[in-house]
Amino acid sequence: MSDQIIVMNNVCKDFKVLNRHEGLKGSIRDLFSRDYKVVSAVKDVSLSINRGEIIGYLGPNGAGKSTTIKMMTGVLEPTSGEIIVNGTVPYKDRTRNCENIGVVFGQRSQLWWSLPLVESFKLLRDIYLVDKKDYDDMMELYRSLVDIEPILNKPVRQMSLGQRTLSDILAAFLHNPATVFLDEPTIGLDVSMKAKIRELILGLNKEKKTTVILTTHDMGDVDALCKRVVIIDKGEKIYDNDISHLKSYFGSYRTLRLKLADDTWEEMVIDESKTDIMEIITKKQKEQRIKDIELQDISTEEVIKKIYEGGAA
Amino acid sequence: MGRTEKRRRRGLKFYLSIYRKILVQDLKSKMSYRADFVISTFGMIMVNLSGFITFMILFKNFPTINGWDYYHMLFLYGFSLVALTPVQCFFDNNWSLRYAVESGDFIKYCFRPINVFFYFISEVFDVKGLGQLAFGIGTLVFAWSHIGIPVTFMAIVKLIVFLFTASLFMIAIMNAAAATCFWIRGSGYVMVIMFRFKDFAKYPTNIFSGIFRILFTFIIPIAFVAYYPSLILLEPDNIPVLTYLSPLIGLLFFFLSYKFWLLGVKRYDFTGS
Repeated sequence: MSDQIIVMNNVCKDFKVLNRHEGLKGSIRDLFSRDYKVVSAVKDVSLSINRGEIIGYLGPNGAGKSTTIKMMTGVLEPTSGEIIVNGTVPYKDRTRNCENIGVVFGQRSQLWWSLPLVESFKLLRDIYLVDKKDYDDMMELYRSLVDIEPILNKPVRQMSLGQRTLSDILAAFLHNPATVFLDEPTIGLDVSMKAKIRELILGLNKEKKTTVILTTHDMGDVDALCKRVVIIDKGEKIYDNDISHLKSYFGSYRTLRLKLADDTWEEMVIDESKTDIMEIITKKQKEQRIKDIELQDISTEEVIKKIYEGGAA
Repeated sequence: MGRTEKRRRRGLKFYLSIYRKILVQDLKSKMSYRADFVISTFGMIMVNLSGFITFMILFKNFPTINGWDYYHMLFLYGFSLVALTPVQCFFDNNWSLRYAVESGDFIKYCFRPINVFFYFISEVFDVKGLGQLAFGIGTLVFAWSHIGIPVTFMAIVKLIVFLFTASLFMIAIMNAAAATCFWIRGSGYVMVIMFRFKDFAKYPTNIFSGIFRILFTFIIPIAFVAYYPSLILLEPDNIPVLTYLSPLIGLLFFFLSYKFWLLGVKRYDFTGS
């Protein structure tokens, strides 16, 4: 058996959207209308993910990230192409696929709102038919990674957002799934909570060899967690490689900061393969006095921004 | 590979045990909000009481309708209250389905290896229904003793079977009404209208004219929520075929509404998140 845990071959997903008309007359017409347009959310995406990887699955809003995740989790059926997750076709055997995955949506708790966390855990243990020993081992691991005692007996509705996210992540790993999908796990959290969550994800991934698929807009998450990054835009895969490769892939970008005569900083992102930095400085110096110069390596955030804005070569 | 691929079975026993555990925990947490509990129970009693008083005033003035006297009407009324309890207690989350679907929150019910309908419905148990149950049983016993139906073992069995049948119809109606939200916006109206229709269940269907009788029997089976099932005890000499068939029709309706609900889940494209 290979170590591939998720395989996608030429997957496409189209949605039929009704062309809506304006006004009262229009909405009456819409009732009977067969006037659909087809929108391709995912176009011919192929992907292969190995056991134990943490993948950053990135893309601007509406790029098709959620649609892909929904197909991998068996909620949506691909229009064409093939998906195999842990040996099953997710859409055909949703229940079996669900045994082996965990899902966290940053803003939507999946726990029982009014129950204390530990009761939610016990219910999940029963739902996933987890052995008592495996459950105890997992709780032991949790205790070694985070301080869960203070939240264990707290109803989810009384938790802070950070505690809730933490709980949701723990709940997603509880049945020791092969793959965990994390959608914006650190959204809205403060800096220290973000760090805590990232540490927890890394720890669980290391201990349990769980594959993690992370969709996020927070490049801090990506830098801290992912070795490999997949980027999709307008439904097409435009990048799939190491994160270290990312910065040089679209040109060797660096940020040049110049302190001008009036004490303001001017910032520009420069592609060194195309433009000479010295040339820019010289040119600028002829216009006015430059007080200070800083040269920074470009952040992942800047690279991603460039890609989203259409910088992809 | 470490992970063993067990062929796992989740049968009726599994679901009952999960439901029991959720219920116990849910009740525990509800008890901790005592004021909320007391106020909502009080509210339910008032609603029932006012309905009952309206009913009394109405029937003091019309001693019989189509051969139905006061106590027979009361029996029907109590019967419908008891029959409506399960839909109120166990299937109340159907009222939130629309919001879950529109906000996209519904997707979370699709990530567990259990039946989606069960998972969604099991989340809420509405205690308020219990007040209605007590009220219904009281009315039923009172009417029963005045009509003078002999209390035999068979009579009790019949009562239970046909009460169960009657609840199946109401559950089916509300399931189907709730599931319309997978197709249309504004499905809240569908639910409200269906829920209003249940008021007709309190009256003997033979007082309605032809069109409504057909509507309430075959299209929206409100007549099965009290009228047809209760005839088994009220008119033992003249039981219509539909009464005998009602347990089967009830199961069929429930099954169809459940399938319709799940069809909605499959059809729903989960956009907007």
